[in-house]
Parts: sequence; structure tokens; C-alpha cells
Amino acid sequence: MPAPAERILDNGLRVIAFQQRSAPKALGVPLIAAQLIVRGGGSAESDAEAGLSALTASLLTQGTTKRSALEVAQSVDALGARLDASSGFDAAVVSINATTPEFPQAFAIFDEVIRHPAFTPAEVERVRTKSISDLGLTYSNPSALARLVANRVAYAAAPYGHPLAGTAETLASLTCAEATHFHERWYRPDNAVLIVGGDITPDDAFALAQRVFGNWKKPSTPAAVLQPFSAPPSRAHVVIVDKPDAGRTAIVAGRVAIARNSPEYYAGTVATAVLAGYSGRLNQEIRVKRGLSYGAGAQLATRREPGLFIASTLVDHTKVAEATKVVLDTIAGLGQTPVEAKELTTRKATITGAFYRGIETIDGIAAAVGELALYDMPLGELERYVAGIQAVRATDVEHFAKAHVASDAFVVLVGDAGVFGEAIRTAYPAVQIVPFAQLDLNRANLMR
Amino acid sequence: MSLSGTAPASAAISLAPIDFSDRTLANGLRAILVEDHRTPTVAINVGYRVGGKDDPPGRSGFAHLFEHLMFKGTSDTAPETIDRLTEDIGGFNNAFTAEDITNYYEVVPSNYLETLLWAEADRLSSLTVNEPNFVTEREVVIGEYDQRILAEPYGMLDELSNREAYTVHPYRRGVIGDPENLRAATLEDVRQFHRTYYRPDNAVLVVVGDFDSAQADAWIDTYFGVILKPAGVIPRVTVVEPPQTGERMLTYSAANVPLPAVDYAYHVPAASAPDAAVLDVIETLLGAGKSSRLYVSLVYGKQLATVAYASADLREQPGLFGFRAILSKGKSISDTRTALDLEIARLQNEAVTAVELDRAKTQIASSFIRSRQTYNGIALALVRAAVERGDPGAVNGDLARYQAVSAADVQRVARTYFTLPNRTVIEYLPAASA
Repeated sequence: MPAPAERILDNGLRVIAFQQRSAPKALGVPLIAAQLIVRGGGSAESDAEAGLSALTASLLTQGTTKRSALEVAQSVDALGARLDASSGFDAAVVSINATTPEFPQAFAIFDEVIRHPAFTPAEVERVRTKSISDLGLTYSNPSALARLVANRVAYAAAPYGHPLAGTAETLASLTCAEATHFHERWYRPDNAVLIVGGDITPDDAFALAQRVFGNWKKPSTPAAVLQPFSAPPSRAHVVIVDKPDAGRTAIVAGRVAIARNSPEYYAGTVATAVLAGYSGRLNQEIRVKRGLSYGAGAQLATRREPGLFIASTLVDHTKVAEATKVVLDTIAGLGQTPVEAKELTTRKATITGAFYRGIETIDGIAAAVGELALYDMPLGELERYVAGIQAVRATDVEHFAKAHVASDAFVVLVGDAGVFGEAIRTAYPAVQIVPFAQLDLNRANLMR
Repeated sequence: MSLSGTAPASAAISLAPIDFSDRTLANGLRAILVEDHRTPTVAINVGYRVGGKDDPPGRSGFAHLFEHLMFKGTSDTAPETIDRLTEDIGGFNNAFTAEDITNYYEVVPSNYLETLLWAEADRLSSLTVNEPNFVTEREVVIGEYDQRILAEPYGMLDELSNREAYTVHPYRRGVIGDPENLRAATLEDVRQFHRTYYRPDNAVLVVVGDFDSAQADAWIDTYFGVILKPAGVIPRVTVVEPPQTGERMLTYSAANVPLPAVDYAYHVPAASAPDAAVLDVIETLLGAGKSSRLYVSLVYGKQLATVAYASADLREQPGLFGFRAILSKGKSISDTRTALDLEIARLQNEAVTAVELDRAKTQIASSFIRSRQTYNGIALALVRAAVERGDPGAVNGDLARYQAVSAADVQRVARTYFTLPNRTVIEYLPAASA
């Protein structure tokens, strides 16, 4: 894959271009994708505003100064394009993907929704109503709910702690003016990165970016800066959300680990791969050896500030105590004995293989490039990625595990505590039980 | 606005056909190859013409359980050998079971093609599962049932829709099956199932990617060609679902349902039928993207639903066309049903405009292009067409079939199938709180 090229427009917008045919040449019509990454996101909103960055991103496609929401949707669908806008904790991302002949028209709509959203009260009400209903769906899935709870447990009152989608209470209070203000504050050329790639030369991509975004005016005031913060120290304890109607119990064990720009990024990625994946240790112990669940895995989210490492599975209510012990023992094992050479080699192969498959599509390349740009990493990291993984030694994994993962993990259990609560209280000294009806994800202590 | 009758803009999107070779070995195995050297990888798919509808009596979910056991060792290899041969070298593998097909697939660096062809041929010709592995894996499959059906708020609704829409056809049992039936399964059932369906003349092998076709053909002959074609015929489902003659209306409730949902299922013809392309276009008109009719009417306009979509669930034998809406908080089922019925009547009574029809066709064509970005996407399209429609070449005619769908076709098909006597309605409600 050729290295991405980059240029900064006069208004401060950083533009990154890459060329990649997205389909076998014989298949004819290829694709072009673009992404705009806007720094800010959920970590730029207060607890009281939880859901504001997501609401603002959702509203972008719900009408512009030139087109109604319906007209935006009709224009995008008529081109066979995909237009999405969403927000993470560190940034909002707006993306478009279209076939080469339709891309210029699709790119014009992309520009319109980013720079000229209408933010009408009627659309705010629509998004609000739908978001509140969607929360109901999320909360009724034990695995999804356990992840939200884990976030709050890990970060407490720190900026990554609140739910990105907000809560029913915060969603009810958010206003059109707040969304407009959030947009004004963060969506500006000197706070954004534009990535254009696929079936287009870098020169054509830069020319297109200049033509469409060149007149995006940089405000006279300096761009806002996100302040660094720390998560509370990790502490081994168990939080049970008692939800008797849950079909199964979700188990999440975790700890705040490392940031994306940490020197331990590659060691952390390999350590996680030793635990994750079908043949990773967690799935081997939970599924293959014991049949306790359909699957178990691990994830390491690396962000601007240290992100969350989690191990997770979903089990029958009667197997919660056994599975929780297996999960914690398996994580702890990573810090106790060095990973053997063969296991290290094969787990690294899963990472590099997934990396190559990820950059098989142009959306995948754009996402990988975008992550580097967002965290101010050199774009050459993309080419060094595989070497970086290969260079990780067993001792690096062990050090990472000891420092960030192996001990002091918290555990979140979402399920029918009537079945497993007693066994958990017997096995673990620090247990907090939150009845589902009293759960409030917008409070650091989880209780309303 | 373009006038009806003018050539649609989407005619500009023409896809070059997938250039594949297709041969049948003496033992009946069908082998399809697509050589392409864009990336140094290869995708291998082995599809068997057996699925949930072929579950033995009293063994609902067995084809799916069996799929899991195909990873549990052969006379020459240990359990999880396929994982060692894929994951450990940076590749991946998986499998799925649908109503009519069980498909196994791998993507690996291209220099491992021979190894994977050997491994797939090996598990086709022999399967050796011991009792402890069988029992553990059976629990895993029940765990999958729990995850998909019990823990997912609307997981059970798909099962109910099949169960109520069909009266005699085995599609009524679904694919994931029933934990009680699975617990009754034995190792002898496993052996019998392998003997019955895992034979070369019931399989389609598709290889897409970076290889030399002559070399691949030689390896296929070496590893698959030696497998004997067993005597005896492969049992096929011959049960025909009788035409439904009256609307069925059912209500179910479950404790973990956060918001009421309504589901319509209409019987429709098989995936290979001429009307299949029209049904796919209707699916897109109704449910794909934020300009689709159900989204605009139920989600955006009336705000009755938080999710609303249609699905053309087309199968080897006559399938179902579904409508589904999950209600917004505080909205009524009867208002939602009225809105759904209005959209169905609109399809039947008004010709879809050229602009709207063209939009749906462009959406379909663009999805096609996206799905062909990866070798495995191409392989999957070929294997499904071969098994479910009996013709891998169907993938190359699909775009033209969609382009040929007219407004009159849409209206005719909507009138033919979306009738009250052909409909099963399920209202799926939160259980009354205690």
C-alpha cells in the first residue's frame, strides 16, 4: 500500500490522501471514501450534557440550510452512497463512501452536512425521542449494558465515564442551542482532519479538498484544547446490576490501561491478542474447555488518554461464579508466566492478519489512517505496524500485563443476582449491588 | 426529476461479470475458481447443501450443532486443527448454518492454499469426534442459543415468525433449534448425519484469490478427487407448505422486551423464482436507508417506531417476506399497524415513481460493489448462488435482473403476495411487570 500523502490547507484543515483500487480491476466500478475527523467528542461534554456530542453528530445528516433531512437522505441514497456521522469519546467522525462516478456529488453533500447543518428544533425532538427509545433497547441487552456500566466504574467522574449516548434524563434536557454551540466550538477546519482515498490520485484528492473545503473559514479565536485527565486508581471490586429479567448474565472484567500514543501500545495489543480471539486464552478456557459460553474475548481501547482493557463473556445465571473466576484467573495468568514462543508467534499472526484484512477495504484504510491522525501519530506508523507487533517480546507482554491488566481488575455483572449474588458475595470481599431500577449511569456511584 | 420511461441514471453502473471456472469432479464435487492477484491471499468456501430444514426429526438445531463439530477433529487431525491452520498464520476461518446451506470458509495467505484444501477435504471424508468434545460443544451451541435468542431482546421473534408462518414445512423449526432437542442428540446422530450429507456430490468448493488455476485444479484433484461418492441418494425435503388461506394473528410476550414490536410475514416464492429480484427491490424501497418508505413514514414522519424495516428472506424453497417495526416509547401497536398497512396498500395501489425505483436500484448496485471488495465476499456470493439457486452464474445476471424490474412489477408482486390470507402477524410485547 502506498504511503498516504498529506497537505495542510490555508484554513488549517489537514488533508490526507491515499490511493487504492478498492476492487479487482476486472470488477469495474470502484469506490472512493472520505472521512472528516473532528476533535472533541464525548470527552468534551460534561456529565450533565452526556449525549451532546452524539446528538450533534446525529443532527448533521438531519437537514442542512439547503436541504431537509428527507432531501439529504434521498440525495445520498440516489447516489448509492453511504453517509454516516457519529461521535466517539475523542472525536466525531463524518464519513461518505460512493462509487467513483458518483463521488463528487456525494462529496458535496458531505461538505454540506458538516458545514451547514440546520439544527432545527423539530429534528432535535426527533433525535431525542429516537435516542431515548434506543437506550431502552441497549439497556435490555445485558452485554451492552455491562459495557456502559464498566465504563462508569472504570472512570467514575472522569471525562470517559459517562455514556456517549447519554441517559434518558440528560437526553431530555439537551437543547438545540447546545448542539449549535457544540458545533461552532469544535467543528472548525483547524480542529479537523480530512481523509480522502480509494480510486483517486492524491493530487486529485487535494484539488477536490481545496475546491470544496478551501473556503471553510477558520474562526478568529483559537481552537479549544482538550485538557489531560486521569482515571481513578484501579481497585478490585465487583459491581452487580441486578436485572432479574435478563436472559443471561454478562460478565465484564477490566482496568484502565494505556493511551494510543503509549510506548507500550504494541505490547498491549499483543497481550490482548493472547487473551482474545477464538484460540485466545479466554475463549479456550471459557468455551472450548468448559462450554460455559458461546464465546469470551478481550478488548483494549486505546485513546487520547488511557483507555479501557476489558475481558467479557455471557453465561447462564447459574454459571456466573465459576465463569467470573475463570475470567479473572486467566487475566492474572498473563502476568505470572511468560508467554511461550509458539503462542506468542501465533497470536501475533492473528493481529497482523487482521490488520491486513482491515486495510483490504478503503473504509478500513481510512479508519486506520484516521486513528493515527487523531492521536498525532506519524502516518508512517501504518507501514511500521507489522514490524512493531513482531518486535514485541514475551517479557514486554509480561511487563504490560503486570503493570496494566493482571491485578486489581473490577468486575461488572449484569444479570439475575437472585441466582448468583450469594456465591459472588462469598467469593469476593467488595461487592456493590445496584438494582436495575435504581441504576443511573450519569452518576459516578451508579445509583439514583 | 426524470420522467418515467427515460433510461435510469443507474444504468451508468455496470459491473463486469465475475470471471469464474466451474467444473464437476467425477465424484460429484462442484469446484469453482476465480483467479485474481490483487492481494496475496486466498478465500476458500465449502458449501454443503444441507441446513436447518434438513434437521432429523426430534433433532431441531442439529445441522447447526453439526457445523460446530466439523471443527472437532478427523481421523488424521486433532480438534481445532482448522484454527491452527488459519488463525496461527494470520488467517481466519468460520462457518455458518442457514436454512438450506452450511458453509465453511477460510481466508489465508495464498501460499497456504494447498494446506487448507487438504484440511477441507479431510473433514469432508472423515470426522472423528469423541464423547467429551461432543458434550462440551453441545453446551457451546446451547450457549449460542442463549446469547442470540434469550439475551437478545428480539431474538425470539425471528424464531416465532418462522414457527407461526409455516404449518408443515421444516422451515418452521428455524435453524438455531431447541435446547431440549439438542440435549437429546447423540454421537451416533453425528456419524449418521455426516454419512448422509457430507459427501462430494452434496458440496460446492469455491476458491477466490491469488493462485494459479492449473495448480489449484491439480490440488483439488489430489485431495478432493480421491473421495468416493457414496451409493444411495441424498434425502431432500419434499414437503410443500400448503397455501395459507387465512390471516393468522398471534400475541407473545417476554420479560426482556423493552418496547413492543410487530412482525408481518408473507409467504413468497423461492430465491430462484422470477419474482425474487422484484422482492429484493421492494425490500430496498421499503427498508434500505433513511429515504426508504418505512423509515420515512414510521420512524421519521409519524415517529411511531424506533426501527422499521422489510426483509426479503428468500430461500431454496418458498421463503418469507417480513415487515418489522419496534415501537417508540409510548406509541400504540394499532397505530403502527395502520401505518404499516398504509405502506403496503401504497405499494399495491400506486406505481412507484421512476426516481424512487432508480434510487433503489442504485442502492442495490452500490451494495454489490461494496460486497465485492474482498475475496471472501466474492466467494460467498458464488457459493450461495450455487447452493440456494443451483447456479453460480446467477451472480452475474443479478444486476441486470434488478435493472429490469419495472414499476408495474413492483405493483403486481405487492398485490400477489402481500394479501391478508397470506399473512402471519405477531405482536410481541413486554411481559406485564410484576
